[in-house]
Amino acid sequence: MSSPEIMRKIVEAEKESKRILQEAEREIAKMKKELPDKIASMRQEILREAAEQREHLLAEAEKAGAEEAERIALETRKQVEALSNTPEAKRKQALEKAMVLLLS
Amino acid sequence: MSSSLEKLVEDIIRESKTKAEELRKQALGQVQEALAKERADALREADLIIRSAKSEADAERNRRISQAKQQARLLYLAEKNKVVRDVLKDLRSGLVQFARDDSAYGPFLLKSIAQGLVAVPSETVKIALSERDAKKFKSSRMLEEALAAAQTPRKAVLSDKPIAGTGGAIVTSEDGKIRADCTLEARVQLMEPQLLAEISRILFAS
Repeated sequence: MSSPEIMRKIVEAEKESKRILQEAEREIAKMKKELPDKIASMRQEILREAAEQREHLLAEAEKAGAEEAERIALETRKQVEALSNTPEAKRKQALEKAMVLLLS
Repeated sequence: MSSSLEKLVEDIIRESKTKAEELRKQALGQVQEALAKERADALREADLIIRSAKSEADAERNRRISQAKQQARLLYLAEKNKVVRDVLKDLRSGLVQFARDDSAYGPFLLKSIAQGLVAVPSETVKIALSERDAKKFKSSRMLEEALAAAQTPRKAVLSDKPIAGTGGAIVTSEDGKIRADCTLEARVQLMEPQLLAEISRILFAS
């Protein structure tokens, strides 16, 4: 093989080597360019899930609060009803005792 | 010679491939590191959002329950108050009956006048009664008996101005400056807290 032929082969190899490195650099540049979007998308997804969980928690609390409030109201209605149905004998006893206290 | 050249060419290519792979690996590492850091930051932020939502949810639930409890308490107390006040209303009606029963009311009126006499430190006092009582007791010795009960040698005259109300008396000093209201209504008003407490005790004692 002649010297120019050898030189040509080496230059070609150098060119190929440069091309390989440039391709790697291009890939890296692309990777870095896409990074902010990737981060934003990931962040958005995590925060969206958190917001969904927040809404769920608030709705659950609202529901639990409403249920408990309803239970309390029901219980109170029963107690109030019991008050309205105070036995006549007790009312009479209270009235007599009050009369005695007043006139004593 | 030819095989040495081929080896040289292969070395050049391999070296660049190795270098390219190293660069890729390094860049990928940096990207992954940045992603992991951002992910951790976002997760921290999300955790804060969720923790804050939990507190908010607890506060909302507690607020709702506390509001319901307060409403319930007010409703219950209002009903309790109504029941007690109804008995007090019956008591007032009962006093009308009491004032018509001379055997029970007479001594009470006497006692009321005597209390009024003690309360008004005046030589001469005026005693005002309801029209009905004045008519009924005018001819009796009630005033003398009251003065004796009060153990006072003062002079008492029956007022010609009758009082309105169920019964009892109003004793006034001669100059009208001192006045003792010993009517049944005044007694009820004065003793209302005690009466309500006693009625409640009997009605709601557990």
